[in-house]
Amino acid sequence: MSSPALAASSGRTLVRLRYAAPKILATLFALLLAAIWIGPLALMVVTSIKPNKEFLNGPFALPIAPTLEPYVKVWQGLHFGVLMQNSLLYAVLGSALAVGLALVPAFALSRFEPPGKRYIFALLLTGLMLPQQTVLIPLYDILRWLHLFDTRIGLIIVHGVYGMPSQILILRGFMTTIPRDIEKAAQIEGATDFQIFTKVILPLAVPGIVVGYTLNFIAIWKEFVFALVFLNSESIFPVTVGMLKLNSDRYISAFNLPSAGLVISQIPIVILFIFAYRWISSGNFVGSVKG
Amino acid sequence: MAARMSDERTSFVAFARQHVFVTIFGLVLPVVLFLCFIGYPILYTIYLSFFEWNGMTPVKKFVGFANYSYMLGDKYFYISLENNLKWLAVSLAFPVVLGFLIAYAMRARAVYFPTLLRTAIFFPVTMSLVAVGLMFLLILNPIFGAFDSVLRALGLGFMVREWFGDYRVAIYTLAVVGGWAFTGLPMIFYFAGIGDVPKETFDAARIEGAGHLRMMLRVALPQLRPVTAVVVMLTLFESLKAFDLIAVMTKGAPFGRTNVLGYLVYLESFWNSRFGYGATVSVAILVLSIAVAALLLGKVFRGAFDV
Repeated sequence: MSSPALAASSGRTLVRLRYAAPKILATLFALLLAAIWIGPLALMVVTSIKPNKEFLNGPFALPIAPTLEPYVKVWQGLHFGVLMQNSLLYAVLGSALAVGLALVPAFALSRFEPPGKRYIFALLLTGLMLPQQTVLIPLYDILRWLHLFDTRIGLIIVHGVYGMPSQILILRGFMTTIPRDIEKAAQIEGATDFQIFTKVILPLAVPGIVVGYTLNFIAIWKEFVFALVFLNSESIFPVTVGMLKLNSDRYISAFNLPSAGLVISQIPIVILFIFAYRWISSGNFVGSVKG
Repeated sequence: MAARMSDERTSFVAFARQHVFVTIFGLVLPVVLFLCFIGYPILYTIYLSFFEWNGMTPVKKFVGFANYSYMLGDKYFYISLENNLKWLAVSLAFPVVLGFLIAYAMRARAVYFPTLLRTAIFFPVTMSLVAVGLMFLLILNPIFGAFDSVLRALGLGFMVREWFGDYRVAIYTLAVVGGWAFTGLPMIFYFAGIGDVPKETFDAARIEGAGHLRMMLRVALPQLRPVTAVVVMLTLFESLKAFDLIAVMTKGAPFGRTNVLGYLVYLESFWNSRFGYGATVSVAILVLSIAVAALLLGKVFRGAFDV
């Protein structure tokens, strides 16, 4: 009596399983991938709270007596306070300069058809794609000539100018999505370009500005080549250059110190990542980049 | 041509008169900044490649094409060039293909927990390569490293290598580490790109009984040509720019076998004080990037950017 019903229901389960099986299999593979990407990071965090003597228990041994001592040691040894302050300064001001320089050009390229527009796009793409190494020597020379070599302001200017092309493209992409009705009305009222820019476009472009600024901030926090070549004094090094010291016998003999240094160096980015995660990882900025 | 140029010039003057603010701050200022900090340096690099200069003295000695002929006989130039190409090959095969597969799997709902996967793979894109390099130095350490012990635990102990010491393996180690950090970028580009493809296109294919493989090759990829063009260009320039990981992990060792062109420029200029030769290698990078970009845009992705 109940057996046909049972057979039918188990048949249904089987059918459902047959459809779900590939997805489960794919998910297992995906989890393996996720582990390959999360594993190294998790390992660093775990290693960073191990005391020295537990280091020899092997890389996967969980910490028995977790300690924050490696953090204290590496913070003091590398003067992380100074490094973080410098990186923060470069990222905050460099991105502000890049976005500031890009605002009016983005307005111009999203709202007007200036003759020679395509040449400007060609220049922007060149600036975006150019390998930095090809301009290192002349920039080094220019900075020395301007007495800006090995100064904070010199590096900020370089970051600002080299951030500008991508910011123009990002902001232009955003500004083209702002409906034109409001500015049409303003134009009829006799508003000038400048008034339309400051009163209409700028307030509406704030979300785009936040996106562009955040991306630039991360880019400068990561940046290494320019800071390595254009700075000489340890007191103005950003985190990326100061961190190189972790790769020396003094620090790398037990892995907990370099691991702690790594974790410290990424903290600001992790915080930004959490706040900006929704739109960063949805790829919404991609559309504006590909123009 | 000349008529068109002058035409453009007069209409530009007319535009500038009408829109003074926009012209000055929106067009002239960025172009001037570009010319000073990006355009002039490129030209100056080319100029310097014909000189011998130690970077200190004000005198630069003109040597004609001597730097170029030296470069063509320089063993390290060829090693570096080869390494850049290997890097490019690894980057196209691993992060780009994997990024596409993951993006497709997430959009096709072929896996559970797509957000977890996306977050995990994307996070390293935001990390500095200095941090990534240091991290993998620890993980791939021959004595205390975690990677070798995982291999041994899986019974794959025979695969253990001197990841940085063996000159045949080292450059691939670096490129794969670079790929680990880079995969999130192609993934995000494809993820956004597939989202822009009209859903009906996929539905129609599904009704006709297309499996995932045919869906990817016949439906997704042809629709995504512009995205692929951007991704391949990004990968190309990322490969030619490779520098940070080498500076952190190997400094070109063993025996200069992991040098890449970008690192060679830095070594020759700022360590060996041969700025003229450094500039010559820079010109090689420049020519290479323009040539490959032109080739890709002209042949493979013809018309991909015409939206």
